[in-house]
Amino acid sequence: MRPRWRKVFLDLFENKTRMLLVVFSIAVGVFSIGVIAGAYVIIENDMSASYAANQPANIELRTADFDRDFLATLENAPDIAEVEGRRVFNIRARPLQSQVWTTLNLVAVDDFENNTVNLLTSLQGASEPAKREALLERKVLDELSAAVGDDLVFQLSDGSTQVLRVAGIVQDPTTGADDFLAPPIVYVTMDTLPYLSQPEAFNRIYATVETGENDDAHIRLTAADLADRMERGGGVDVYRTRIALKNEHPLAPTVNAVLGILMALGILIVFLSSSLIANTLAALLNQHLRHIGVMKLVGGRDNQIFAMYLALILAFGVLALLLAVPFGGIGAYQLSLYIADQLGFTLLGYRIVPFSFVIQMAVGIFVPLFAGFVPVINGSRITVLDALSGDLAHETATRDAAGRRRESVFERLENWFDELLLRRGIHLPRPLLISLRNTFRRQNRLLLTLFTLTMGGAIFIAVFNVRTTLFDYMDNVGRYFVADVTLDFDKPYRLSEVERLARQEPGVVDVEGWAFAAVEVLYPDGTLAENLTVLAPPAGSEMISPDPVAGRWVQAGDTRSIAITEGILRSFPNLKPGDYLDVKIAGNEERWQVVGFFKFIDREGLIAYGTYEYFSRETNLANRSVSFRVLTDQHAEPYQRAMSEKLDKRFRDAGFQVSQARPGLSALDNATESLDILVIFLLIMAMLTAVVGAMGLTGTMGMNVLERTREIGIMRAIGAVDAEIMRMVIVEGMVIGGISWLLGLLLSVPFTYLLSYIVSLAVFETPITVVFTPLGYLIWLALVIVLSALASIIPARNAARLTIREVLAYE
Amino acid sequence: MTPAPQNLPPVSPAAPPPAMIDLRRVVKKFKNAAGEFTVLKGIELHIGRGEFVSIVGKSGSGKSTLLNMITGIDHPTSGQVIVNGQDLYTSLNESGRSLWRGRNLGIVFQFFQLLPMLSLLENVMLPMDYAGLYDFDERPRRARQLLGMVGLEQHAHKLPMSVSTGQQQLAAIARALATDPPLLVADEPTGNLDSRSADTIIELFTSLAAQGKTVIMVTHDPSLTERTNRNIIISDGELIADAVALALPLLSHRQMLQVTRQTQPHTFAPGQAILLRDAEVDTFFIIEEGEVEIVLQGKNRADATVARLGRGQYFGEVELLRGGKSIASVRASSTSPVRLLGLPRAAFLATLKESPLTEEAIARSVQSRLQENRAQDRRSVVDALSGTIKKALRRSS
Amino acid sequence: MALQPISPNPNPALIELKDVVKTYSSEAGDFTALKGIHLQVQPGEFLGIVGKSGAGKSTLLNMITGVDRLTSGEVRIRASGQEVSVHSLSENDLALWRGRSMGVVYQSFQLLPMLTLLENIILPMDLCGLYHPRESRRRALQLLEMVEIAEHAHKLPAYISGGQQQRVAIARALANDPPILVADEPTGSLDSVTADHIFDVFESLVQKGKTIVMVTHDMGLMPRFSRHLLLTDGEISPPPASLSSASPRPKK
Repeated sequence: MRPRWRKVFLDLFENKTRMLLVVFSIAVGVFSIGVIAGAYVIIENDMSASYAANQPANIELRTADFDRDFLATLENAPDIAEVEGRRVFNIRARPLQSQVWTTLNLVAVDDFENNTVNLLTSLQGASEPAKREALLERKVLDELSAAVGDDLVFQLSDGSTQVLRVAGIVQDPTTGADDFLAPPIVYVTMDTLPYLSQPEAFNRIYATVETGENDDAHIRLTAADLADRMERGGGVDVYRTRIALKNEHPLAPTVNAVLGILMALGILIVFLSSSLIANTLAALLNQHLRHIGVMKLVGGRDNQIFAMYLALILAFGVLALLLAVPFGGIGAYQLSLYIADQLGFTLLGYRIVPFSFVIQMAVGIFVPLFAGFVPVINGSRITVLDALSGDLAHETATRDAAGRRRESVFERLENWFDELLLRRGIHLPRPLLISLRNTFRRQNRLLLTLFTLTMGGAIFIAVFNVRTTLFDYMDNVGRYFVADVTLDFDKPYRLSEVERLARQEPGVVDVEGWAFAAVEVLYPDGTLAENLTVLAPPAGSEMISPDPVAGRWVQAGDTRSIAITEGILRSFPNLKPGDYLDVKIAGNEERWQVVGFFKFIDREGLIAYGTYEYFSRETNLANRSVSFRVLTDQHAEPYQRAMSEKLDKRFRDAGFQVSQARPGLSALDNATESLDILVIFLLIMAMLTAVVGAMGLTGTMGMNVLERTREIGIMRAIGAVDAEIMRMVIVEGMVIGGISWLLGLLLSVPFTYLLSYIVSLAVFETPITVVFTPLGYLIWLALVIVLSALASIIPARNAARLTIREVLAYE
Repeated sequence: MTPAPQNLPPVSPAAPPPAMIDLRRVVKKFKNAAGEFTVLKGIELHIGRGEFVSIVGKSGSGKSTLLNMITGIDHPTSGQVIVNGQDLYTSLNESGRSLWRGRNLGIVFQFFQLLPMLSLLENVMLPMDYAGLYDFDERPRRARQLLGMVGLEQHAHKLPMSVSTGQQQLAAIARALATDPPLLVADEPTGNLDSRSADTIIELFTSLAAQGKTVIMVTHDPSLTERTNRNIIISDGELIADAVALALPLLSHRQMLQVTRQTQPHTFAPGQAILLRDAEVDTFFIIEEGEVEIVLQGKNRADATVARLGRGQYFGEVELLRGGKSIASVRASSTSPVRLLGLPRAAFLATLKESPLTEEAIARSVQSRLQENRAQDRRSVVDALSGTIKKALRRSS
Repeated sequence: MALQPISPNPNPALIELKDVVKTYSSEAGDFTALKGIHLQVQPGEFLGIVGKSGAGKSTLLNMITGVDRLTSGEVRIRASGQEVSVHSLSENDLALWRGRSMGVVYQSFQLLPMLTLLENIILPMDLCGLYHPRESRRRALQLLEMVEIAEHAHKLPAYISGGQQQRVAIARALANDPPILVADEPTGSLDSVTADHIFDVFESLVQKGKTIVMVTHDMGLMPRFSRHLLLTDGEISPPPASLSSASPRPKK
């Protein structure tokens, strides 16, 4: 090898710590980009592919009961490819040995063998249950422990129980794919239904369309037509219509949006790591000044030197790629697996994603080149004299035309500060002064370090703020979940009857029966716009504390009026309080007035509130209800849970057909849980940026100490002990950390707004009110102090270990 | 901050030991990839309080290492270093030596003196901060005084890079004096200064020595060594006898070292005869301490003292060069004993052969002594009557 | 490269300095390190520039090598068949020209620590491209042999003594076979015996026709130059009378 290339090769390994620092800082960026880009591609593709492979129904109708003969009449409906009927209802189950009930969705399938829509994938055991057997969707196993061959106890609405044997475990990526918080599913055959006191009738339609299976408008029309046939042709009421595209998983937009946020953070990490690389390379070039001087002395020209150091940077990049690409690939797959598992779909298998590979290559090669370009240009242009004298005294001060140093902003600030102190006769102890002034000596380096650390800190703080914002929003949503127990029955009961019985349970404070209506909001052309669930508490109910963001809340005397979530604006962006909506309720089209908007989490259709007084009459259930809200004297979740069970038992014992009794907060908890996952991802990214920031600081402190060995020697020579030297370095690190914290304080504000906006749009599909918490600021303060102390300890120890002889052994 | 004493506490409570610096058989070996080098080969050195000493040596002679021994910067492979009563290497660790140095020693280097981020005033205050000496509020006052002493008061708030190198050096000296240490060590303090700045610094050192500070200065500039009380030459890790350097200044250091190794010490009581006239001379004598008298005696005439020779002067060269017998008698002066270094004839002649400049100088000295002797001979005819000395000489022979 | 031995002909000087002034500016004021130096060096001379530290010796040398820019005046060098005004070259051209025409030796050896001795010597040839890679390797071995370090060819600089390192530095300075060798205190950090040997190497190079300019503060070396100059406070001064007899006068 020619000597100059051999020098490049040897330089690579000359300083192991520095090499690791550079390689790691490139690798962190490459890795995070690789993981996210890889996961993005894998999920984007597999999520929908896995979904599509299971023949997802384009149309799902919730209907009144109907039979096989009626179903057969639908098979010839225009543009319907396949149509299947199923029966779906809520049921509680527990393993034989356990006393804890779990609410499940029971789905009765007519013909497992000739199943054509919403296909099941058999994972274990039988793919088809026999009579009195059940197949468990694998998510059931998250809720209760069961294995093939076990018996599960099911509780019927009259309180009696039946036992079904688990015949197999299956995966269903399609049913309920739009709501990963829906109860898990158990599958049985239709002839098992009588054992469960259910009629052998269907109440769901799952259909696929012949053409335009990815055309939203076409499917809507086909669905409307199908619903029409059922209602007009067979007198079967359609309660709810849900449509879906074949090749797009219903949650894909949300997941992609979240991945998009993570991607943005990943790109930020790349930027931060590039400033770290720039810093380290500048220091490397500085340490190599002498070598550059020698090479120029013996005939080396700018471009030769430039090429050598560019090659060195490329080598760093390649090493980082070797490290980061495999891990990035594994990480991407693991992340995809995790998300797939959470959302219930299957990946197509491990693979290298070319797109992510290319992006990683680009990041690993171009980012270091970009970051190293300026230092390398400067380094290769230096004159022999400057290079040979290894003169680092130039620092970064700029010079005016006459060659005199120009004061930088930092210096002016510092002089001003010095004079201020002097005028008041205050002398700072010199050792402290040294730390303070050292901080500002290498300004470019300081700026880059501050940039990395501040960005890391700002993101860290912002993530905490976003977390609080999300939870605050959830708390606000909790205004609509004041009730401690939700008691649902399989048939309507009189309010007075339920209230009397409920009040017998000690701890019950109040009981309300709510009306409930499932309606469809229609576009002016009569096609389905949104599914809407109307909850109708008595006017002036104590069980919700509404907080309308526009207009007013519903009040006593309102008829055909609703307060609706802002989610409706998706379909009707120009809707204002006072405007009207066309709805279809129990087959009748009506026109309702919107009196106000409120914020809510819209899942599985929108929510609106009306008054019990009106809607109970509308649904022919005056003074009766299927759904009751109970207020108890305590509101902690365990208490609510206990009360739910007590009420459940009390009502069943009294012969009521209880569908389920749920603690009031459980709905909220499920939602919070999913937010937690998101917050954890955000925190991981925040930690990564913090780590990059800390690495930057470590590097900077290391370089600072290295360049100041002579000064440290002088200090020792005039009586500084080990502790004094260490303190000097650590204080400097902490000053940098402190400054970055202050800057992070400011920068976190826009970051919080930006991140909240993106996240809330992705998750809630509506911007939410930003809330700040001191928590992130305090944690980051503690963290940055600890990090900067840690980042300085190794350089400080190295500095203290230097003996004067080594330090002053010039030449 | 506890109030600090105005003066340093004495290191030993009893009377301070007479020597400021006491090196005993100091050996320093360095190991590197190319092998092991002995840089200091058993140095014995004693420097008293209030002395202004220069140390001279070529690069690679070990003078920096020697200095590092005295300042506690490096540690010897064997031997003992006692500075201001403190054994530096048996009872102190690196950090302890730093603290000790802060209170006992002011160091002035050739380069990289001042901390660039501190003003001159702050630089001078720093050692007080480290040593915890003087009240916190007293420190700026004292630093200002010291800067005033070196004439830099009006530059006190400037950063080092804003003043000239000479001024930086002066500020460094002020800093070295910050904790009022009894010992000042300067490594080539004038190395990169113009001659006028160098002058100022030497004057400062001289006056500091006069005030009782011990000043040790490494230099390779002969014009500076002349202005110190004592010049110590080190060559290839060994000290050259002071007297040899004084007597034969034109030898190279290596030759001086050669001579130092070949000489034998001789001690004579006050008044004791060293050489008799007409005796065989086979040794070249250099006076290390005390005085000798050169005495001429005519036949039947009283003795006449023609010259007194002191430290660094020599005799015996005339006879060794011209051959023959002693042309005069030499005896120890009556007031003090004399220590001589004797160089055997062969070694002396070999040395002259190696150094034509020295040969030339000695030849000139022989010339002038012979002339002087002849003149003295004539004068001695006049007052040649005293017989007492003659008797004494006879007695001693 | 066969060079004419010294001759009294009106042969143009190899190195010519015309009124070279170098002033350093700093916040503490201007400092003139060289105050109008006139100097001619003939082919085959072994010129010693002697002076105390701070006298401007290294600055003068930096003017000749073009490592530092001059404030006024001119440095002309006639080497490798071309005449150049050193300070009119761009930094890049200067590097290439210097690599081919002038070998520089410093007190501190300045070997690249990560390369073997052999590689250190090949480096200038690698950078200047005068020799084919195979040829340059052969040449480097020859040079190492010449300075008697061939057996250490594959060692790193840290594994040999200072004197040996300086020999390698000299060999490196000769890599591109330049007619001029410039040395800044080459024996300054060596013990006296080693320094002697290094000086012998320089003397043998002069005999082989190289022109050498060396600066030193060691007055004891003066007799060994073919000519020497005293530099005091940035000016060339006549040698002090007391030493005149001991030092041969430069030829006029």
